[in-house]
Amino acid sequence: MTGRAMNATVITPLGAQIRRDIALGWRGRGQALVMLGFFLIIITLFPLATGPDEAQLRPIAIPVIWIAAMLASLAGFTRIFADDVRCGWVDQVALSPLPLALYALAKAVVHWALTALPMLVVTPLMGLMLYLEPAEMPALLLALALGTMALTLLGLIGAALTEGARGGNGLLAVLVLPLAVPVLIFGVLASTPADGGIVTPHLMLLGAVLLVLLALAPLVAAMALAEAEAETGA
Amino acid sequence: MFDYLANPTRFMRLADRLLRPLTLLATGLLAAGLYYGLLASPPDYQQGETVRIMYVHVPAAWLASLGYVALGLCGLFYVVWRHPLADVALRAMAPVGAMFAFLTLVTGAFWGKPMWGAWWVWDARLTSMLILFFFYLGVIALANGFDQPERGSRPAALLALVGMINVPIVKLSVDWWNTLHQPASLIRSGGVSIDPAMLTPLLLMLAGTHCYFAVIVILRMKSILAERRIMTMQLRRAATAMPPDGGTG
Repeated sequence: MTGRAMNATVITPLGAQIRRDIALGWRGRGQALVMLGFFLIIITLFPLATGPDEAQLRPIAIPVIWIAAMLASLAGFTRIFADDVRCGWVDQVALSPLPLALYALAKAVVHWALTALPMLVVTPLMGLMLYLEPAEMPALLLALALGTMALTLLGLIGAALTEGARGGNGLLAVLVLPLAVPVLIFGVLASTPADGGIVTPHLMLLGAVLLVLLALAPLVAAMALAEAEAETGA
Repeated sequence: MFDYLANPTRFMRLADRLLRPLTLLATGLLAAGLYYGLLASPPDYQQGETVRIMYVHVPAAWLASLGYVALGLCGLFYVVWRHPLADVALRAMAPVGAMFAFLTLVTGAFWGKPMWGAWWVWDARLTSMLILFFFYLGVIALANGFDQPERGSRPAALLALVGMINVPIVKLSVDWWNTLHQPASLIRSGGVSIDPAMLTPLLLMLAGTHCYFAVIVILRMKSILAERRIMTMQLRRAATAMPPDGGTG
């Protein structure tokens, strides 16, 4: 396929899809702010439960931030495909030259940018409130960045599989959380720098999980969406 | 062979023929295994009589793991080759595997209390089994989570496939987590060199539970196929019983 033909058939629709999602996502940015609020509230609940003692909060600071990021992200996953399936956009994409897998990938990229990036921005502040040192932030942020990307891809799978199901958020959580265990384990371990700097073996393992998901998630989501599209299109 | 069995009627016929011998085999093997395990084998020199839980715990753990691989294969057959009976097999196997995973956890707790003094420890194998149990629950919930009964087959198949790829990753990550967080391992592994007197009942129990698994899955598959046939007949009857102008006009 020549460069121009490739452009016409895949790159241009992909760019259009991303621009559309950014525009729609920005218009619905209130929802992303709600997720951010959820993130902050979860983190706040822990000191309220354990007491303000620094000796109790500091050891669990990084795990708490990770779990808060996971749970807050879960709140948004059902909405990744819901609107597009309902208004028939997925049917159009299925008929278009844009492969469903790339459509799903575009969705994941925009979703991450709109929902996870704000959490990353706020994390240093929350970390300080949980008695973390500023020097510990770069490792935590790098690990969280990769971890939230992996989580978004898992959410992509979960959202596509549960599209049209009863049980909504709860079902999606039950599906995604067991799959997210490696992300959590490697992510928390990668959040503390080792003597080699912030790129620890744990970070590389987290990156490996992310790459596997990057290859797997769009394809699985596309296969599941094809089914959902066939259902609602009927 | 799988193509031959794709016809539900042919499968039902073969299943009916296999059911009797398999049931007898399962009963025989389990009875022999339990006799040797509970009565005729020596107690462990370290653990005493409580080691006998191993004869139930180990087969259950093995089948829970094998069951998930089988589930993933069903998912593969359904998604890639669109085998008509693959989703029936998936729906049949999922609760059985889940039950074995649950049994593993419960027998593990019964084994753990006299051994380590605690009903539960967060060691690598128990934690992996717990997460595997959640994987099973997810597949079951998704397969039954749609208003249209058949709609859940493909998502559940995809989930089982994704899970089969992920389970090794989860297992490795939990092992990693466990070795980094636990200062010393409290459990010695089941024993690389195991006394032949204990090996025989264990193998008998393993073989017996495999046959039991096959029997239960065949029974469940037959019942699922029968349910589908009944529903088709009911729909057909409702359609022909409608007035000539039809309900929707």
